[in-house]
Amino acid sequence: MALNRKKIKWIVVILSSVIFLVITVCVIIVSQRDLPNDDLRKAREALSEAKEAEADVYSDTKYKQATQIYELGMKNWSRENDRFILVRDYTGVISSARKAKKIAEESKEESIAKADDLSKNVDAAFVSMEKKIELYNKLFKNLPIPKSVFDAHNKSKMFFSESKIAQGNGKLKDAEILFKKAEIYANHANTAAAKMLRDFFNDFGRWKNLANDAIAASRGGNKVILVDKVAHILYVYQSGKSIRSYDVEFGANWMARKEVAGDKATPEGNYHITSKKDGGSTAYHKAMMLDYPNGEDRVHFAQMKRQGLISRRAGIGNLIEIHGNGGRGFDWTTGCVGMRDRDIDDLFRVVGSGTRVTIVGSIEPLSTVTGGVDF
Amino acid sequence: MKSKLIIAIAAMGITVLFSSCQKVPQAEIDAATASIQEVKDAGADLYVPEAYQALVDSMKSANEKVEVAKAKWFPSYTKAKATLAYVSQAAVDTKAKSEARKVELKAETTTMIGEVKALVEENKALIAKAPRGKEGREALEAIKSDLAVAETTVTEVEGLLANGDLLGSNSKIKAAKEKATSIKAELEAAIAAKGGKK
Repeated sequence: MALNRKKIKWIVVILSSVIFLVITVCVIIVSQRDLPNDDLRKAREALSEAKEAEADVYSDTKYKQATQIYELGMKNWSRENDRFILVRDYTGVISSARKAKKIAEESKEESIAKADDLSKNVDAAFVSMEKKIELYNKLFKNLPIPKSVFDAHNKSKMFFSESKIAQGNGKLKDAEILFKKAEIYANHANTAAAKMLRDFFNDFGRWKNLANDAIAASRGGNKVILVDKVAHILYVYQSGKSIRSYDVEFGANWMARKEVAGDKATPEGNYHITSKKDGGSTAYHKAMMLDYPNGEDRVHFAQMKRQGLISRRAGIGNLIEIHGNGGRGFDWTTGCVGMRDRDIDDLFRVVGSGTRVTIVGSIEPLSTVTGGVDF
Repeated sequence: MKSKLIIAIAAMGITVLFSSCQKVPQAEIDAATASIQEVKDAGADLYVPEAYQALVDSMKSANEKVEVAKAKWFPSYTKAKATLAYVSQAAVDTKAKSEARKVELKAETTTMIGEVKALVEENKALIAKAPRGKEGREALEAIKSDLAVAETTVTEVEGLLANGDLLGSNSKIKAAKEKATSIKAELEAAIAAKGGKK
């Protein structure tokens, strides 16, 4: 019995020592192991700083990669923690955390650099856009451009304004997106309007001949009226020199060659004043009737009809005049040449019935009209 | 007798050991996660992005605290629970901030719509008084074109607002207001210049 007690005592002592030893070894193992909490915290903070630097916008690939690696690290940490304490291995977790931190820092730097570049690009793009709008305003805004082109120009201006607001708010990516939309519309408007202007000037050779003939016809002392549609100016020539000039207005479709009645186009060619009206005989203060259509207009009209380019029922139109009631600031006539009342009073005194009236698209070439602006 | 005492002490030790091992606060984690999702659904990431990001960061910190506790011999989730409770409370505050910002944005946009409409009408009246002539014609055509843009934008903004695009409608109406205001200044300057010439 005494032996048994002694035996039990020894067994307890040995067992206790073994347990103590095992626990001590375990505690040493566990305490020697590197935990990933500091690394993951640093990775999270790096991600937070990257986000603050808008890395999710300007360096989205790297930012996403860093986020995914951080999340993977957290997942693996949780998985390791679910294992028995002595067999946990945080090496992979720590490695993920450090990698996530490194990539998050890179993404922050990349974001700052890209935002800086974008800021410069947006500034440069704004200058280019300003030039496009300026070009439109200088060359095209007074042309009777189609509604679609006009709308495109307006949309481009609106997107441009929004883009500037976004830039002001520091949202450069939004500014860039809006700017690109503005640019698409501006390019469309400018290209369409430029084509229209170039196509219009395809007739410049003919206009030049008409204008030269008109000026030559004035050399004998006769007065000749020369109307420049692009410049919106009516000149009176005598002895090869311009003795008068007046601002004029036309129909809303003044750029087009007059083809049918009601098209609001102003005809181009050589005409003559057939009669002068004033008082109750005209609703436009004073008026000078032209002999539109002339022979050339009739041939052109018949040809268009034959080719089916105009309706069979269409009429050629008539009653094209130089008249008063103008100075309205826009092209409002139905195809006539509109003048201020005081100007037509003066013109009335200067020219009489039978005076030659030559109407051309422009007396100056396109390069002069555009002031040498490349478009 | 002695061996019984040893057994009793060992049993007590084991009981204390197990009672000190707390469980992962899954209910709190789920509640905090759900509250963040709710805040996101309310558009907080768009309307109060900084507050939303702070919330997300706090949640990540709470998750880390959970794992820090889990990694210990005798886990205690007190700190993690405190952070999770903070996240749930902050989510409520962030949602409220987001809702308030939405109301503010809507009111601001609605007010600006009214202002732009009024400016458009004022500008139309000013156009009638504006000087014409050759130079005036060019300027007026440009102004009319600009005014048409501002007018079209108002209609567009009303549509965006009706569809709940509060940020888009707000930035668009700001652009329209800026345009309408600049048109007004341009017209007033032209009219003043005309008055000065007389």
